[in-house]
Amino acid sequence: MKIKFAICLAGIFVFMMAGISFVVAGDLERFESVKGTLRIAGGTAHIPVMKEAAKRIMAVNRDIKITIAGGGSGVGIKQVGEGLIDVGNSGRKATDDEIKRYGLKMHKFAIDGIAVVVNLKNPVVKMKKSELIDVFSGKISNWKALGFKNRGINVYTRDASSGTRKVFWKRALNKGEIIKSANFVKSHGAMKSAINVDPYGIGYISIGYLDDTVAPVSLDDVSPTLENVLKGDYKIARGLYMNTKGEPSGLTRLFIDYIMSKEGQKIVEDKGYIAVRK
Amino acid sequence: MNRFVEYQIKLFCWISGIVLISAIGVLMAFLFHKGISSLNLSLIFGETRPLDGLLLKTEVVDGLFPAIVGTLLLILTSIIWAIPIGVAGGIYLAEYCNKKWKPGFNLMLDILAGIPSILVGLFGFAVAVFLHKHLSEHIYPCFLISSLALACLVLPYIIRTTEQSLVNLPFFIKTTGLALGASRLQNILFILIPYNLSRIISGIILAIGRCAEDTAVIMLTGVVFMAGIPNSLLSQYEALPFYIFYISSDYNSQDDLMKGFGSCIILLSICVFLFALSHILKRRAALRFATQ
Amino acid sequence: MKSSIEKLAEKGFLFSAVLSASITILILSFMVYFSFPLFKGGDIAQFFTLEWNPYEGGFGIVPMMVGTGIIASLALLIATPFGIGCSALISVFSTGYFGRFLRKVVEFMTGIPTVIYGFVAIFLLVPFIREIFEKGTGMCVLSASIMLALLILPTIVLFISDAFNSVPKNYLDAADSLGATPAQKLVYVIIPSAWKGIISALVLAAGRAVGDTLISLMIAGNALQIPGGLSDAARTLTAHIALIIASDYESPEFKSIFVCGLILFIFTTLIVLVLRLMGRFKILRDR
Repeated sequence: MKIKFAICLAGIFVFMMAGISFVVAGDLERFESVKGTLRIAGGTAHIPVMKEAAKRIMAVNRDIKITIAGGGSGVGIKQVGEGLIDVGNSGRKATDDEIKRYGLKMHKFAIDGIAVVVNLKNPVVKMKKSELIDVFSGKISNWKALGFKNRGINVYTRDASSGTRKVFWKRALNKGEIIKSANFVKSHGAMKSAINVDPYGIGYISIGYLDDTVAPVSLDDVSPTLENVLKGDYKIARGLYMNTKGEPSGLTRLFIDYIMSKEGQKIVEDKGYIAVRK
Repeated sequence: MNRFVEYQIKLFCWISGIVLISAIGVLMAFLFHKGISSLNLSLIFGETRPLDGLLLKTEVVDGLFPAIVGTLLLILTSIIWAIPIGVAGGIYLAEYCNKKWKPGFNLMLDILAGIPSILVGLFGFAVAVFLHKHLSEHIYPCFLISSLALACLVLPYIIRTTEQSLVNLPFFIKTTGLALGASRLQNILFILIPYNLSRIISGIILAIGRCAEDTAVIMLTGVVFMAGIPNSLLSQYEALPFYIFYISSDYNSQDDLMKGFGSCIILLSICVFLFALSHILKRRAALRFATQ
Repeated sequence: MKSSIEKLAEKGFLFSAVLSASITILILSFMVYFSFPLFKGGDIAQFFTLEWNPYEGGFGIVPMMVGTGIIASLALLIATPFGIGCSALISVFSTGYFGRFLRKVVEFMTGIPTVIYGFVAIFLLVPFIREIFEKGTGMCVLSASIMLALLILPTIVLFISDAFNSVPKNYLDAADSLGATPAQKLVYVIIPSAWKGIISALVLAAGRAVGDTLISLMIAGNALQIPGGLSDAARTLTAHIALIIASDYESPEFKSIFVCGLILFIFTTLIVLVLRLMGRFKILRDR
C-alpha cells in the first residue's frame, strides 16, 4: 500500500514537471511551440491513422495531449456538434440537417472501401450481391446454400451509430433489412476479431483493416481492393471525414493541416486507405 | 431418510465444491498460461525506455503504463472524495442519528449500494452533459466526473463499515472516555475510531478494490483508449479494466491479445492484493475483540 | 468554544450523511428528468414494444427486458444448486481442511474483477459453446448465464454458509443427540431454520445478476431479439445502456436508455425492500 501510494505521489509530482521536446524536421515542426489538449472521437475506421499521427505529434511536444476514443460516426458528429470533443470523425458525410444544426465543417482526408469478410476457413470468397442481401436479411441462413458446411450463418453487424453500417446498408444491401439475430460489435477491430475466431461468421469491415486474419469476399467478381475502389469498380466506398464545429482554429487547425500534409497523407496510405492528396 | 438419498446429498455437495474449485482453477490456469509470457517491461512501457516513461520524459504510447497510472490516480482521487464523506456519514449514523430518521437513511444507502454500476455511470454521464450545457463549456465526461461517480459507487461501503465498526464496539469502550470527561466528539475521534481503525481501513481497501475493477462506470464517464497520462482533472484518461474490455474485442494481432492477457494478470494482482490486505486487517480487528 | 466545535462537527457529520443519501435521490431524479418528456408526451408506449430500429422509429426495449430476465434467471438457476451444495460442504460436511480451502477460494473469487471473467470467457468458454451447439457464434444466452452464475456464486455461498452457521447450536445438539447424520441435520434442521437466509442470498444474487453489465456486454452477443433458445444471442438492459449511450442527446434512443435506467432502479429498490422484509440485509457482500 505504501509503495503504491509512493508511486501515485511520484506520478502526481512528475505531472508538474515540464516535458522535454525534441527537434524534428518536417511537417511536425508546426507543433513545437503550441500546447493544449485535442479530443478526438467517432468513426473507428479512422483510429489507426489518428493514433499514428497522435503518437508522432506527442513525441515531438509533451505539452500536447491528444485523446482518442471510438464510438462510431454518429457519436463523432453528435459530440463535436455538442462541443464535447474537438474533432469528430465520421465514415459518412454529415447529413444536411446535422451540418445546419451544428454548423459543421467536414474535412475529407481519405477514401475507404467496405469489404465483406468471412473466416479464413470459409471457402465462400465469392458472392453475388443478391446473395449477400439474402444472407444479411436471413433469407439464406445456412452456409450449405453457398457451398460450405451445413452450419448456420452467423451475421455480424455494427450498431446504429456506425457510419460503416449506414454506408454498407445503402450501397451493399440496397437498404435491405438486417436480420434481427445479428450479433452486434462495436468497431472495425471488433468485427475483425469476431470473424477471425468464428468459422461461420460473416461481417463487414473497412478495407484499411483488411489483413491476413480474415478473408475478403468479392462481390459480383469485383474484389474489395483499393485499386478497384479507385477505378470505381468496387462501389461500396466512402470518404473518411474529420468534422469540426465551425472553422477549426488553434491546435485543431494544426492537426487537420498535419493530416492533410504530405506526412499525414503518407500515414493514411500506410494504414491502408486512399489518400485524398498525392 | 434412507442411506442412498443421504449418500447422494453428500455426493452432490462434494461435486459442487469440486466443480467450483476446478472452474476457478481452469480459469486462472488458462489466464496465467496465456499471459505469463507477455509479462515484461515492454508490456508496460512499449518501445519507450522504462526510466524515461516512469519519469514522464516521453509519452508511453504502446505500453500499459498510462493505463496503470490512470487506474491508480483514479483510485486515489475517488477515495479522496469518498473517505471524508463516508467516514463522517458513518459516524453520524452510528452516533448522532435519531431513530426516526435512520430507516430513511438506511433505505437510501441500501439502494445506492445495490444500484447496478452502469446506472451510476449513466448518472455521471448525464451530469457531465447537463453541466456542459448549463454551466461551462469545459466540462465533459472526464477524469473528474469518473472519480466522482466512482466515489458515489463506494460511498455506501465506507459508510457501512464505519457505522458497523462504531456500533459494534463493546459498551465499556464506548463509555470509558465519556466517564473520564471527554466530550462526545473527542470520544469518537480519539477513542472509538482509533480503537477500530483497522476495520474501517479494511472497508476502505475493499472500496479501493471496487474502484480498481469497475469498468461500467468509467466506460460511460470519460475513459478512452488513448490519452496518455492525464494532466488535469478535466482531461480524459486510460484505465486498466477498460483496456482489457477494449482489447477483448478490438485486438489487431496475436501480440495485442497477449497484451490483453498480461493486463488481466496485472489487474488481477492489484485486486487480489488489495483484497488480501483488507482481509488481514479485518481478521486483526476481529482478533482484538476476541482477546478483550 | 468547545461546544461550538462539537456543534460544527455534528453539522458536518449530518451534512455528509444527507449528501450520501441524497445521491440516491439525485440519481432517481436524473433518470426521471431525462425520461419524463416521454411520459408526458404519452410516447412511453413506444418503448414497450418489440421493435428496436431507430432508423424507422422503433424504440422497443422489451427484447432487452426479456433478455435480462432470461439471462439472470438462468444464471440463478445454475448457481443456486451449486451454491447450496458448496455452503453445505463448508458448514456441514467438510468443516476440516477442504471446507476451509473452499471458503478461501470463494472469498478469493469475490476479488476477481468482472472484466477478467468476461475476457477469459471469450477465449475459453465461447469457442467451446460454439462447438457444442454446432450453431450460432458461442456468444449466447448460455455462455453469459454460465459466467454470470460463476460471478454470483460467491455472494450466494458466503451468505448461505453464514446463515447455516447461525443456526442455533441447541437445534444441532438436539439433532446430534437423536443420532442424526450430517445429511439428516442438513435437510431436517439446518435448511428449514435457515431458509430466510437462503432466500435473501438468492434475492441479493438476482440483484447482482441483473445489474451486471460487462459479462452480458462481452459474451451475450447483444442481438436485438428475444432469444428463442440457449444458443441465441441476446441483449440485456445494462448492455443496451452501454451500447446506446453515445447517440444524439435529443433523440428518443438516448432517452430510452433512461427508461432502461429507471426500470433497473425500480428493480433494485424492490430487491432492497424484499431483503428488508426478510430482515437480513448485509450490504458488504453485495456488489
